[in-house]
Amino acid sequence: MTERTALELENVRRCFGSVVAVDDVSLAVAPGEFVTLLGPSGSGKTSTLRLIGGFEELDAGAIRIKGERIDHLPPYRRDTATIFQSGALFPHKTVAENVAYGLRMRKVERPERDERIRQALDIVRLQGYEDRYPSQLSGGQKQRVALARSLAVRPAILLFDEPLSALDLSLRLQLRGEIKRLHDELKFSAIYVTHDQSEAMAMSSRVAVMNKGRIEQVDRPEKIFHDPANEFVFTFIGESCCLLVRCSGTDVTDRNGQAIALSLRDSLPEGDSRLYIRPSRLKLAAEAQGLPNGLTATIHFIEFLGDVHRYHLKAGALEVFADHAGAIGHDVGALIDVGWRSEDMRVFR
Amino acid sequence: MSDALARRGFEPVMLKALGAAFMVFIIAYILIPVLVTLVMSFNDASMIRFPINAWSLKWYQDFFASPQWTDALKSSVIIATGTAILSTVSGILAAWAFERFPIPFKNVLYLLIMLPLFMPGVVLGLGIAMTFGGVQIAGVSIYGSRALVMIAHSLWAMPLVFMLMEATFRTVDYRVVEASYDLGANPLRTFIEIVVPMVSTGVISSALFAFVISLNEFVMALFLTDRDTQTLPVLMWLSLRSAGTPRLAVASVILALTVFACLALILVWYVRQLRKVSRN
Repeated sequence: MTERTALELENVRRCFGSVVAVDDVSLAVAPGEFVTLLGPSGSGKTSTLRLIGGFEELDAGAIRIKGERIDHLPPYRRDTATIFQSGALFPHKTVAENVAYGLRMRKVERPERDERIRQALDIVRLQGYEDRYPSQLSGGQKQRVALARSLAVRPAILLFDEPLSALDLSLRLQLRGEIKRLHDELKFSAIYVTHDQSEAMAMSSRVAVMNKGRIEQVDRPEKIFHDPANEFVFTFIGESCCLLVRCSGTDVTDRNGQAIALSLRDSLPEGDSRLYIRPSRLKLAAEAQGLPNGLTATIHFIEFLGDVHRYHLKAGALEVFADHAGAIGHDVGALIDVGWRSEDMRVFR
Repeated sequence: MSDALARRGFEPVMLKALGAAFMVFIIAYILIPVLVTLVMSFNDASMIRFPINAWSLKWYQDFFASPQWTDALKSSVIIATGTAILSTVSGILAAWAFERFPIPFKNVLYLLIMLPLFMPGVVLGLGIAMTFGGVQIAGVSIYGSRALVMIAHSLWAMPLVFMLMEATFRTVDYRVVEASYDLGANPLRTFIEIVVPMVSTGVISSALFAFVISLNEFVMALFLTDRDTQTLPVLMWLSLRSAGTPRLAVASVILALTVFACLALILVWYVRQLRKVSRN
């Protein structure tokens, strides 16, 4: 166990007053693994990261790095390095001095220190910026220096605290690619906190979806997307339509009791349920023919989203939206058939 | 319509003119006494009195040739330096603790720290003089020593340093401090290498303010010094009563120049920092 994990959280718990910020979280990160904590704001992902870095104190549980307990140590005695959202560069130090700082604190002597500074700046492609001050750098460059500063000390685990969220979209995509490239090259172990799903999906070996201080599911990105463990994960990851239906005997109605033209292959449980389907999996009109599940609905309005047209449909009190590449030639107000495969649908009670 | 327009044009002009006049008045009010003193210090006569019939530097020569006056100047500078060090170090540490740690009864404590600033110098001076009047440590009398005056002056200087630094520390981006811990620097190292440089303008300003406060202070120094340790303002006061020569004006000019130099230093440092922050 000791050799096989870079970081291990065991039943970690942290409360702020009566609020449980991190609730019984267990997670193991293998060496070279890139694990993302993904969740809405307030889900406890940043608190979890701060617990690992040592900026918050544990209420219960254990944190181990390479098998050794570190949760009693102050941040400056832990073999972690954090890349903060704001970069948090030392404003009065040059780029080279910023990168040198952690090495000096770890008593890395001169020739090696210079070599490692050069390497780190090479890696983030900031050669020639050694003597600049942070105020002379752009937002993206600052984050690259922060990355170099953390990489240079070669920590057991890198902690990313939403490092890209303050940047604009194109820069975010570019840096995202760069972090991924670096991880592929250097094989560092990392925990990455974000609320951006595409970031999590694109970069991670595994994603841990967090909600209300708990981990809802930990798995590879594909599994998280295609095989969500529960309702929260399904609704949080990707887009989904929710059909609120009521079933009594063989009658299926909306929540107001109005009959709807819904036909399902498998019968629903008695009472209220929630049906979830991804809008990209809904087939319309002729394409809906022959699919095991179907609904007849009225076109409420149509949005043009570029690659697809999004059809907003209504059947009783039910509202669904379906994405279709290109227009289908039906107008607002027309009745239309919607169909989907059983494996694309989830039913929760 | 045009009437209203005209009035709207007239009012700002009026306001500007009044504003300018007020500024001139204030500047004159502050500068005239200083200028009069400056002019008087070049008087050749042996009395502080107008009109000035002949100009000379003789009283400057006289000032620097007199051991009594140069000793007083030396005393003033030593005491001011000591006060600056004492109150800057203690004030900064107190302010950092105040800003960083949860301290019970913070508001009460804040008032307590600021309290000496509002105490009359006479009360503090007399109180300290009575307390330490006969106290000796290892055969050395505390009363009349420069150290005692430094401590007394720190009663006024420290709260000012504390107030200034408390406000300055609030502007520190705490993530940067965390980044320093994160990279392996312990709290002391972080404070010296990261926090203090980030607030250097505040540190320099408060040190120089403390220096100036001590340099200017008269009442406590009058109560607490003896012939060997008296400061320049004390000596000026004593000699005014015996002989009002232009030597007094020279002493004033030197005191005023020192204060101006300190203010200039603060400004220079401030501009330098501003430039550093907005280097691009």
